[in-house]
Amino acid sequence: MESLTSAPAIELSHVSKHYGSMQALKDVSLAVQEGEFVVIVGASGCGKSTMLNMIAGFDRPTSGRIQVQGRENTGVNPECGMVFQQYALFPWMTVEDNIAFGLKMKRMSKAERRNRAQEYIDMVGLRGFEKSYPKALSGGMRQRVAIARVLANNPKVMLFDEPFAALDAMTRQVLQEQLVRIYEQQRKTIVFITHSIDEALLLSSRIIVMSARPGQVVQDINNDLPHPRNADVQLSERYLELKRHIWHAVQAEVVRSIEAAA
Amino acid sequence: MTAKYAPPMVSVERQPRWRRLKNPLISLVSFGALLLIWEGATGLGLIEPLFLPAPSQIAQRAIQMAEQGTLLGHIVASTWRVTVGFLIASLVAIPLGIILGFSQTSRAIFDPILSFLRPLPSMSWIPLSLLWFGIGESQKYSIVFMGAFAPSLLYVIEATKSVDPLLVKAAQNLGARPRDVMIEVILPGSLPQILSGLKVMLGIAWTCVISAELVAAREGLGFMIMNGKEYFQTDTVVLGMVLISVTVMATDLVFRFFERRILPWKA
Repeated sequence: MESLTSAPAIELSHVSKHYGSMQALKDVSLAVQEGEFVVIVGASGCGKSTMLNMIAGFDRPTSGRIQVQGRENTGVNPECGMVFQQYALFPWMTVEDNIAFGLKMKRMSKAERRNRAQEYIDMVGLRGFEKSYPKALSGGMRQRVAIARVLANNPKVMLFDEPFAALDAMTRQVLQEQLVRIYEQQRKTIVFITHSIDEALLLSSRIIVMSARPGQVVQDINNDLPHPRNADVQLSERYLELKRHIWHAVQAEVVRSIEAAA
Repeated sequence: MTAKYAPPMVSVERQPRWRRLKNPLISLVSFGALLLIWEGATGLGLIEPLFLPAPSQIAQRAIQMAEQGTLLGHIVASTWRVTVGFLIASLVAIPLGIILGFSQTSRAIFDPILSFLRPLPSMSWIPLSLLWFGIGESQKYSIVFMGAFAPSLLYVIEATKSVDPLLVKAAQNLGARPRDVMIEVILPGSLPQILSGLKVMLGIAWTCVISAELVAAREGLGFMIMNGKEYFQTDTVVLGMVLISVTVMATDLVFRFFERRILPWKA
């Protein structure tokens, strides 16, 4: 495979991040290979979002180095498409225009934009809502628009910042399975943040457990659950084994962060 | 809380007919009563018509002026002046305000000028504008402009701050450059706030044009009031005031109409 010879899709080397006197991340080193679906789990405030923001180029590490496709970010990097927990759709644009936004920024012609957008509208199952404004959509539909908007822009890497945390349990499951399908088809490099172990197991090919603040990598687990994957995988023996293992790692950190806060 | 599925517009609860008409009806009755008391008071000689003529007398004056063709001329003159001055002020204030709201450096450059202009009432510009532009139309536009521009600009700058920074982040993440962010995100994102600010400015623009016309003009509602006073035609004076009120209300309605057109996603 090409990824073995070329640079990893994302590489963090000895990354630390301070906000004033607060240390959010401490000496994090992590290499994400092309086509990996890495899910990062950890207690709240462990610096997961900080890490994602730095990969996307919204923020810089205090020390250490972050490379995407072998290059350091000089500013916001559009090759790292981000899906936010709060959807971040443009309320004045229709579904179609939201999805085509990245293409417009690439100065693609209107007709071509429309075609490409339609392809992704269909992919996330929003046919018939092309002309709707985000306001008229449910949370789950909005998040599907946000995912389609990033997919349409065809970035090298997709970053997800707790994208399903605000959705109800059933909608969340539908979107998780949809994301697994998309990943199985497209094999994009994905870094996904969550505090749900079940979500991590269902989606990932690899799970990183972060410690409580300051965030450090405490476990790096290969998720070998078979593909194609759906919610049924949660009933398998291997799933429970992995879940128990991760929970032990996470539990210690959660207790530590609660005690630190007390 | 998360936004769950929000059914579109139709969900507005329908009130029974009499309920919906109740408040407008009360307003209508109170307005009618006011007119009747006013008419009665002058008819009975309780109020001297020179100080406050009866509504019927004002109506007669309106009909008379309409037949002469001067009434419409005054309305059109003032409305036109407001429209031109206000449009120029908005067309300069909106793009400039977006840029100033976006870039701290440009704000620092303009801050001294703005701080100087802001406290100046538009009336204080009248002598200077007469020197510069004479008594013609451009002098009226300039007064409206000077009255509306600085506050409009501040409204626009303020409005840009209401744009969710997450949307700017998302746009940059999708490849938007600074100019794209301004045009595609800051402008549409702050437009609702800008428009509600401009609605207030429209009222101020009317104040400006009337004051300019009171001082020096040959036409317009402000001139009509002043001229009425010269000839002790109190009915003309009051008629002018009524027309100002009605015209301002009408421009506000037109503005709201365009506002709904410009912001379909807000509905």
